[in-house]
Amino acid sequence: MHIPDGILPITVSAAGYATSGAVTWYSLRKISQKENAQASIPKASLLTAAFFVASWIHIPVPPTSVHLVLNGLLGAVLGYYAFPAILIGLFFQAVMFQHGGLTTLGVNATMMGVPAILAFFIFRLRRVVGKESRWGTGVFGFLAGAVGLGIAVLISWGLLITTIPAHLDVEAERASIYALTMAHVPLIVLEGIFTALVALFLQRVKPELLED
Amino acid sequence: MKWKWLVFPALLTLLLFPAMTAWAHGAHIEYTISMAVEIVAAYDTGAPMAGGQVTVYAPDDPATPWLEGVCDEDGRFVFTPDPTKPGTWDVQVRQAGHGDMVHIPIGEDMAMTGGGGYSTFQIVLMGACVIWGFVGTALFFSRNRREYAHP
Repeated sequence: MHIPDGILPITVSAAGYATSGAVTWYSLRKISQKENAQASIPKASLLTAAFFVASWIHIPVPPTSVHLVLNGLLGAVLGYYAFPAILIGLFFQAVMFQHGGLTTLGVNATMMGVPAILAFFIFRLRRVVGKESRWGTGVFGFLAGAVGLGIAVLISWGLLITTIPAHLDVEAERASIYALTMAHVPLIVLEGIFTALVALFLQRVKPELLED
Repeated sequence: MKWKWLVFPALLTLLLFPAMTAWAHGAHIEYTISMAVEIVAAYDTGAPMAGGQVTVYAPDDPATPWLEGVCDEDGRFVFTPDPTKPGTWDVQVRQAGHGDMVHIPIGEDMAMTGGGGYSTFQIVLMGACVIWGFVGTALFFSRNRREYAHP
């Protein structure tokens, strides 16, 4: 999921920085319009830590393995805070563990952060069935987690498949990109379930955390 | 008449010469010492990057691939850099949009081994520091404001 340095052409990296810059600006603007913008920072900070750690949790999907992303969960619980949270998490992953890269930070942030904001809107749709409904929270939590990651996987697939350098064995690379993308399908379901469980847990113990 | 003595050996040589070359089944071996670089590519999980596509870039032209190849099932790839091109050789291994690049100095500043990541202990320690940063941020912003309020 994290595209490292040296894979994408420089134009795509620059476009990624431009997009993530614009979305960061918009998210921060939305955050500053809130009545008490600082109140959600502890929640955002802890979920950033969870996002940072999640990429260490590998799930074997033979013949490869995938790792948790949790961008849908961050979106559902954090709303607009999710984008800066993901940006910061990705920055530390890239600097500390070379997971992802600094040149592709913008691309990766856009790839995971924009679907996270989308997940936020999906999760908000639970108002249709009523916020108190546990079924609504469960179903829309699942959709937020699954769609958030699903769209990120699709963006990643689109970016990789269209930028394979001509000097490589394009067929082999394309086949392995397809294989990796398909390996994320079980993860999409898993993260949907996980997001639903976290949302239901928060609704029971501290419902004000889901008030956004 | 002296030259007549030379006729026989000259004829013999001419007759035998093609035969001599045909019979020259002796062997000789030349040698040059060349240096091979072996790389081993693996994912963070430790799984080898079997079938990863390798691209080698020479120091004089870091934009054009100098050599291309594929890792074996253990993630290994061996190549012999051109000794007339000292400098930093870049080797990239890529599979499914994932991969890494290693910079190998060839020539004066050569190291016999290199690359590799952090040890597990280093990773855990660095991770713990970052997590503590996030937790600290959370604690700072969730502190009870009244404690700091002046009368």
